[in-house]
Amino acid sequence: MKTSLLCGLALFVTSVQAAPSGDYVERYDTLYNSLTIERVGSVVEMRARAHGGEALESAVDLSDPLKLVIAYSHTLFSGLFFQPTPARVLMIGLGGAGFHRLFTAAYPQALLQTVELDAKVFELCQSHLGFKPTAQTPVAVLDGRLFVKRNREKWDWLILDAFRGGFVPPHLKTEEFYRECAARLEDRGVFISNLHSGTELFYSDLKTIQAVFPQVVMFQTAGRGNVIVCAVKYRSPVVTDPARWPATATLARPLFAGRLDLDAVRQEHGALPLTSIRAARVLTDDFAPVEFLDAMKTNNTKNR
Amino acid sequence: MLNFAFYLVVVTLGILSMGFQLLGSRLLSPHFGSSIVVWAWLISTFLAAFSVGSMVGGWISNLPAERRHRGQWIAAAIALSSLAFTVIGGRAALDQIELTFPVTGTGLLVSCASLFFVPVAALSCFGPQCVQFLAARGTPPGQASGLVYGVSTLGNIAGVMLTAFALIPNFRVSTLLYGWLIVAAAGLVALLRLLRAPTAS
Repeated sequence: MKTSLLCGLALFVTSVQAAPSGDYVERYDTLYNSLTIERVGSVVEMRARAHGGEALESAVDLSDPLKLVIAYSHTLFSGLFFQPTPARVLMIGLGGAGFHRLFTAAYPQALLQTVELDAKVFELCQSHLGFKPTAQTPVAVLDGRLFVKRNREKWDWLILDAFRGGFVPPHLKTEEFYRECAARLEDRGVFISNLHSGTELFYSDLKTIQAVFPQVVMFQTAGRGNVIVCAVKYRSPVVTDPARWPATATLARPLFAGRLDLDAVRQEHGALPLTSIRAARVLTDDFAPVEFLDAMKTNNTKNR
Repeated sequence: MLNFAFYLVVVTLGILSMGFQLLGSRLLSPHFGSSIVVWAWLISTFLAAFSVGSMVGGWISNLPAERRHRGQWIAAAIALSSLAFTVIGGRAALDQIELTFPVTGTGLLVSCASLFFVPVAALSCFGPQCVQFLAARGTPPGQASGLVYGVSTLGNIAGVMLTAFALIPNFRVSTLLYGWLIVAAAGLVALLRLLRAPTAS
């Protein structure tokens, strides 16, 4: 009796996990994260349990996978202001591949190489969030820094969006790592990083990026704690003046219509908090107390 | 007074060994990341070093006095010289290992073995010596063993907490490693003197 009951229960659990149709909430403990996958209607969210709640890692609308559900994924396209023709993009951190769908549809010839540490995230991204890697969107399951060190290719965009339960591992925050990233950028390439504002870590992040990249531009995602930083490794031409950026009309793609408003992204440009940056310390491999600078105070926990 | 000095040294060596593990993770992370794979290799290396060190230390503690003292000096010299190698040349060694061994597991094995195993094993040799020290002064062997490993483990806890919450947030890893070397040298010199102290009988 007990055995059949257990078998029945096991079958029930298996069936719930194997057929993700309709609304559901599933939880997975992976090697690196405690993840929640929740589907409400056509929207599937991937969240990571973290201090004080759950950090929303990614979300995809399965009825329109090209839709950018998460606010900051719009802002990642600010890279277009600095490198308008991204042919080769490296993204560190897969999440639910919310950014990937629109990018690859809009730039079908571009290579979007992704590096993801957590194999289970990659698996869930395919099984629950409808991501299908192709020759144009390969995914390597590896530590981001190891990939950057070992892969000698150059990239037009290098996007750093690697979070583990709401914070970025210290070795992906240091001056040495940013130098390795800069070395992998094409001469006119752009480094794009997703940061969280409102903590001491934020100012150290900015100061560390400034220590490597001569020109740094900041975009504050509207109403959220996310800040997208774009940085280039050249001093000339000047890119910090928005008046010198290409007109958004020349950058827009037909698929952006109704999904991505580059004018709105341009409006998110903000001034760097120079006074606070001056007081901050540069993070290095030798000194990176990232956890203690508290990346968790402001997070995209509550809202998209 | 002798007992106070003895336990102070035991606590200090406990602090050093586990704090060193956290510093080791910071040394490895730029080269191999901070994944669970790195932690598995690091923890296993330390446990293997504790194991080998305890067995070798147990063997040394049973030697006749003159040879035992020589063994203790050799263990201290190995501990300090290998720790000095990690402190001074650790980062350069990791750069080289990373290039030489592209497979992460092999690179980690070589890194942990060359930078952490020897100093921790050599330090662990002194656990049985400390038990012998108490037993020779009339403490029953079982109680002596319990006291030494209990006090040492308290030092381990202090080492982890102190390193994680006070030292790493405020000091460079390289500075801390030099501090470790200096404290280890002072602790071992003190312990060697204590171990040579005559017994009451």
